[in-house]
Amino acid sequence: MSTQNQNQNGYMLLFRGTDLRKGLSPEELQKVTDNWMAWFKRLTEEGKAVAGNPLEREGKIVSGKDRVVSDGPFAESKEAIGGYFLLDVATMDEAVAIARECPGLPYGIRVEVRPVAGECPIAADLRDVRADAQLANA
Amino acid sequence: MSTQDQNQNGYLLLYRSDEWYNTLSHEQLQEVINQNKAWVERLIAQGKAKPGHALERKGATVSGKNGRFVSDGPFAESKEVIGGYLLLDVATIQEAIAVAQTSPALAYNTLIEIRPVANECPLDVRARELAREEELVNA
Repeated sequence: MSTQNQNQNGYMLLFRGTDLRKGLSPEELQKVTDNWMAWFKRLTEEGKAVAGNPLEREGKIVSGKDRVVSDGPFAESKEAIGGYFLLDVATMDEAVAIARECPGLPYGIRVEVRPVAGECPIAADLRDVRADAQLANA
Repeated sequence: MSTQDQNQNGYLLLYRSDEWYNTLSHEQLQEVINQNKAWVERLIAQGKAKPGHALERKGATVSGKNGRFVSDGPFAESKEVIGGYLLLDVATIQEAIAVAQTSPALAYNTLIEIRPVANECPLDVRARELAREEELVNA
């Protein structure tokens, strides 16, 4: 499938791990932050990043038919998402190459690289299923 | 902290789910898609949301110094995979929760994570706090 390597809609980088600040000195922490901001600024100037935001550590989770609200995600964890970038690049390879420049990587941050869907993938699946059904009935 | 209740920068909704849609019929699925589309369009028309996107259920994870590890992922079958996002332009977490609670996706095993968008990076804030603490200790 073409979306594995090429994607017109860009890619999202999700930064996972919100516990890196433990054990770093203020100077180290400041350096990581400065590098991160300089990295985003450069990508924006190059037209490769179109949006990006850090997220506050706290949040809420809504779930289930009863629409229950709970606290979450846990304040500091390896899995929690600390922020995201939206990249306007055409290939997975290019998105991964940018992810590999992330200044948080040496401190345990993991970067999830996800192709943005042009239309909802569920709607696309449904179209495929319908097309198959039409073929079967033809 | 003011950010717990009020936030000028809006709130990010992250949709987390398994592949629940594989168990629905065409008609059921089409109904969910239509409901969700109408829901998002209404929020955009009300000025409460910016257009969001679904994410393909595949990708890569980069980790380690200089990004030396690149693995496939996230795994499609996981319950926690982020399937899409929506940026809400509302001023309080209560309002963001109220909007999330009306999502048609909740009926289908989807969790919605609500996160305040930060004005400045929390790492930056923490670095300043630490610097201040050190100053106090040294004073």
